[in-house]
Amino acid sequence: MASNVLPRSVQRLIDEFARLPGIGPKSAARLTFYLLRAAGDQALDLSAALHDLKEKTTLCSNCFNITEQDPCAICLDDNRQRELLCVVEEPLDVVALERSRAYKGLYHVLHGAISPVEGIGPEDLKIEELMNRLQHGDFGEVIIATNATLEGDATTLYLQRRLAGIEGLRLTRLARGLSVGGDLEYTDDITLTRALEGRQSL
Amino acid sequence: MYINHLSLTNFRNYGRLELDFGPQATLLYGANAQGKTNLLEAMYYLATTRSQHAALDNQLLNWEADLAEDPLVVGRLVARVERREGERLLEMRLIREQQGDQISFRREALVDRRKVRLMDLLGNLRVVLFLPQDVQLVTGAPGDRRRYLDITLCQTDPVYCRTLSRYNKVLEQRNAALRSIVEEGKGRDVLPVFTEKLVDLGGTIFAKRASFVAAIAREAQRIHYEELTDGRETLRLHYLPRLYSASYTNGSDSTAAQMEWAEWLESASAEQAAERFRHALHEARETDLARGRTTLGPQRDDWMFMVNGRDLGSFGSRGQQRTAILALKMGEIEWMAAETEETPVLLLDEVVAELDERRRALLLGYIQQGTQAILTATDPSMFTDAFLEQAQTLEVQDGRVVEGKSALV
Repeated sequence: MASNVLPRSVQRLIDEFARLPGIGPKSAARLTFYLLRAAGDQALDLSAALHDLKEKTTLCSNCFNITEQDPCAICLDDNRQRELLCVVEEPLDVVALERSRAYKGLYHVLHGAISPVEGIGPEDLKIEELMNRLQHGDFGEVIIATNATLEGDATTLYLQRRLAGIEGLRLTRLARGLSVGGDLEYTDDITLTRALEGRQSL
Repeated sequence: MYINHLSLTNFRNYGRLELDFGPQATLLYGANAQGKTNLLEAMYYLATTRSQHAALDNQLLNWEADLAEDPLVVGRLVARVERREGERLLEMRLIREQQGDQISFRREALVDRRKVRLMDLLGNLRVVLFLPQDVQLVTGAPGDRRRYLDITLCQTDPVYCRTLSRYNKVLEQRNAALRSIVEEGKGRDVLPVFTEKLVDLGGTIFAKRASFVAAIAREAQRIHYEELTDGRETLRLHYLPRLYSASYTNGSDSTAAQMEWAEWLESASAEQAAERFRHALHEARETDLARGRTTLGPQRDDWMFMVNGRDLGSFGSRGQQRTAILALKMGEIEWMAAETEETPVLLLDEVVAELDERRRALLLGYIQQGTQAILTATDPSMFTDAFLEQAQTLEVQDGRVVEGKSALV
């Protein structure tokens, strides 16, 4: 798009949108012109939302989830099982686990997984903070709930090594297996192997 | 199994093609550079998700479609494959998309119109490819020989294929961890994690490769001895696993050491192989740290041909090398048929021209035993009348295919 044709303010927003993942120059232009013509305060509301996103949020100094108040609501909630800790990669994983309503313990967000290829080592994750919490807190069980990817598995293995020395701490991880409503026939063999390994007595 | 229909869109020099095949032999003939080999390439690509040429995938798109400056170019390869358990529709899409000044290329695989991972396309159509340049397998680089192992095994063993792909990802992470130890002095505590994952996957690859080479060697040796050399020469194939550190051989002949490990692997379980691999990686730790990469493992494997106890790559004549390759390929057919209880589709590119009369008769005899074979040739007169009588013959002219039987007989 020829930059001298458009006013600077328009071009600037197009460029900003185009920097976002999954948005190309055409989508960026379309979004910009949509906002330009949008009724009422839509563009200003978006701008305010973006402003608040950075200004009002912070990381919980306990669990490192995203929060507007520190400590976060989950860490402050006395109705939760405070001896149970679930370690996840990202804040969105907390959202997923909360949606299940099956978990009532506390969380610890690592903000990533170990991946030397991307230059991400343990020191780039909230692992020292986790060690600290475990040493000073009174946890009975740590559930490691990283993604079932190579990097997630490597992180689990790494944590397993680090946490093995802590006395009286039970280490668990999420089961691997069939998805609910899934067809056995269409399940790949690695998942099936894991499901067989993790079979349960009836 | 056999391919009963092939449909191509924007692939190589084919703008659009619909082609029916019979369950037995099809001869594609025509002058050079008309698109005969491209047809074999399309079928091979659907079977293996790769081209037999090391070409970039985006070179597979039709160049005229490519030149049209359309922001979206889609190449489609579709084959209807008749298998014992019924018909299956395989499709590969090659998609080149232009967004602004960014050009992206991606591939999509479909089985029975359902999108699947590329890996899951493998095994639906199994082929054995014969190329004139196959003889380079004997003398060429280890990488070419590993590629042959991997492609052949992947077609019959989905577990191998997934394990290999995971292994390569773990290897990349382990190498990055080694580099970061060397360059930044950090990551020592991460290395064992990736080593652990590497040995598990590597053990499976070692064990599967060892039993594959042993099995295909038996078939190839028999064919070579009984049918190709009248009992004058003995062909052996040796797997050379990179399962030990440099310090292990202590400067002695590493080929002999590798052969011993190969023999050991044949009766070892994947867990035993992993245990051995763990030990070897431990021994090689200092070397790995000094070089900043993993110096042993399946990524450094090789295998070799021996005839009458001598290395065929160094001491064999061109004729002996050709004979060994023919035995290997025929062995591959037998092995694949035994392994999957279904005969693969044979793709032969200009190979028949290279064989002497007797071996030609032997190969064509094979083909006439109810196996589908697609052959290319510039000169159909080298085929016997009896063969042409049975075969479907098609003439390829500049990206078009025409019935050609009447012109020949």
